[in-house]
Amino acid sequence: MEQWVVVTIIITAYLGLTLTIGLLAGRKQSDSVAGYVAADRSFGLLVMYFVTGASVFSAFAFLGGPGWAYSRGAAAFYILAYGALGMAPFYWIGPRVAKLGRRHGYVTQAQLITGRFPSRNLSGLIALLSLIAFVPYVTLQMRGAGIVIEAVTDGNVPIWLGSAVAYGIVIAYVLSAGAMAVGWTNTFQGIFMVVIAWSLGLYLPNALYGGIGEMFTQIVAERPELLDPPGLTATGEPWSWGAYSTFILVSAVGLMMWPHLFMKAFTAKDDDTLRRTVILFPTFQLFLIPVFLIGFSGVLFPGSPPSSDFILPFMILETELPALVVGLFCAGALSASMSTGDALLHASASVVVEDGVQQFVDLDERSQRRLMQGLVLLTGATAYIFAQDPDSSLVLLLASAYGIIAQFAPPVVAALYWRRATTSGVIAGLIAGAATAFIFWQNPQFKPFDMHEGIVGLLVHIPVLVIVSLATEPQSDEHLDTFFE
Amino acid sequence: MNLKTARVLAGVYHLAMLYFVTWPGILPFAKSEPLVLGLPFTMAWIAAWIAGSVVVLALLDRIEKKYRTTDGGDA
Repeated sequence: MEQWVVVTIIITAYLGLTLTIGLLAGRKQSDSVAGYVAADRSFGLLVMYFVTGASVFSAFAFLGGPGWAYSRGAAAFYILAYGALGMAPFYWIGPRVAKLGRRHGYVTQAQLITGRFPSRNLSGLIALLSLIAFVPYVTLQMRGAGIVIEAVTDGNVPIWLGSAVAYGIVIAYVLSAGAMAVGWTNTFQGIFMVVIAWSLGLYLPNALYGGIGEMFTQIVAERPELLDPPGLTATGEPWSWGAYSTFILVSAVGLMMWPHLFMKAFTAKDDDTLRRTVILFPTFQLFLIPVFLIGFSGVLFPGSPPSSDFILPFMILETELPALVVGLFCAGALSASMSTGDALLHASASVVVEDGVQQFVDLDERSQRRLMQGLVLLTGATAYIFAQDPDSSLVLLLASAYGIIAQFAPPVVAALYWRRATTSGVIAGLIAGAATAFIFWQNPQFKPFDMHEGIVGLLVHIPVLVIVSLATEPQSDEHLDTFFE
Repeated sequence: MNLKTARVLAGVYHLAMLYFVTWPGILPFAKSEPLVLGLPFTMAWIAAWIAGSVVVLALLDRIEKKYRTTDGGDA
């Protein structure tokens, strides 16, 4: 049997298993909106851990991470640094958010913000910004899935077909089962990813160079500039410390503000589960080490992939591993893509309906669920169309998506910790911050110290929020007391 | 240790981590050699801060738990 046939069989079996788990999981959940969006607030530690870990580790970590290590060297270390930093504040914020969620019945981030700062327009604005940030992110995941399948089947399954099949399955279980399916499939996919990454990450340096230390000694000898922090830019110039540091900062601030991750605070069973998830999260972060090792193993390897994002499938195919291993790797990469893609699709539909449409039109529970399901399909289809364009500059869009998402941090912190913040202050800050980030994204030559545009946005956002809040009427104590003890 | 001190210390650890993995705190540690456990020095440096974060948060969790069981209310 030809290798690609074996690989296709393994992928099919894997996808079938994912679909089964996804569909079975949904049978345990109630038919309400809290059921579909927040899994009836029932997730225990194991599921929470993998939901969080597997949603964060996307095709970007699995394909982009090794790609960065391979082409930009030490620059990739920023990806390692930000996760633990971004997650830690959630130890304090998470339980507080969860408590307000239980008390006021919130299931989305915008509900929390507009609960404190009542405004339909604010809610609509958050839904819109979330959606703008979500679509390129989903597109990237789909393209990642398609690329992997095309590469390992020798082109017998083209990108359009591979991404359609993988995401057809994702959409099927997200539609039928919502949060519960996302939780259980991510647990399965998360375990799978970790095992594959560690085994390949330790195997390749050993097989090709005789050890990890030996591999780096050779890279230092032949390509010293690559490992010299902060690494290189995409064009091979030395990267700046300003960019390196603000990439860490904006990603750390933005990480937990992604609606699909933030909403997980509402799915946890209790505060202990939430805190444990945060404590254990950095262990998931260490999983980037083997992923980087895979990328570094390609540096001195003869030949090169068509683009640096292909380094992982390239190494797997060039080192002539058995078909079984190639198939399993492929399933691991699909896990990375699908486990983020499902959470994104699910969250974007929930956010648009709950925070956008529902604010302006009154819908009953049944119609809300229907509309969410329709939006999952629509978002999926939109992303699918973008994913077919080989020249789409989506990686650039994604980088700026983090700039937008980071702007959710000041409103969330103000809602939870600052009594004097006002609705006008929050709206003014959000608009000023998002607009600034957008302007500097469009005109990168004006960025001070090569800083990430999201950080420049925050530097404008925070003073505007504070000044406008202080200049406007404070909120009533009666209203504030329902948020503060 | 009381709960408040523990929380402040955990916060301080993560602020220190932020300082030491970005400019300018990272500069003295921004080098590829010597290799540590086979990894480039900066990579091992960042990984060590992550491992430290797990330990710090786990200790904090133990202290929080002790306080929650003694006074009943959550923090």
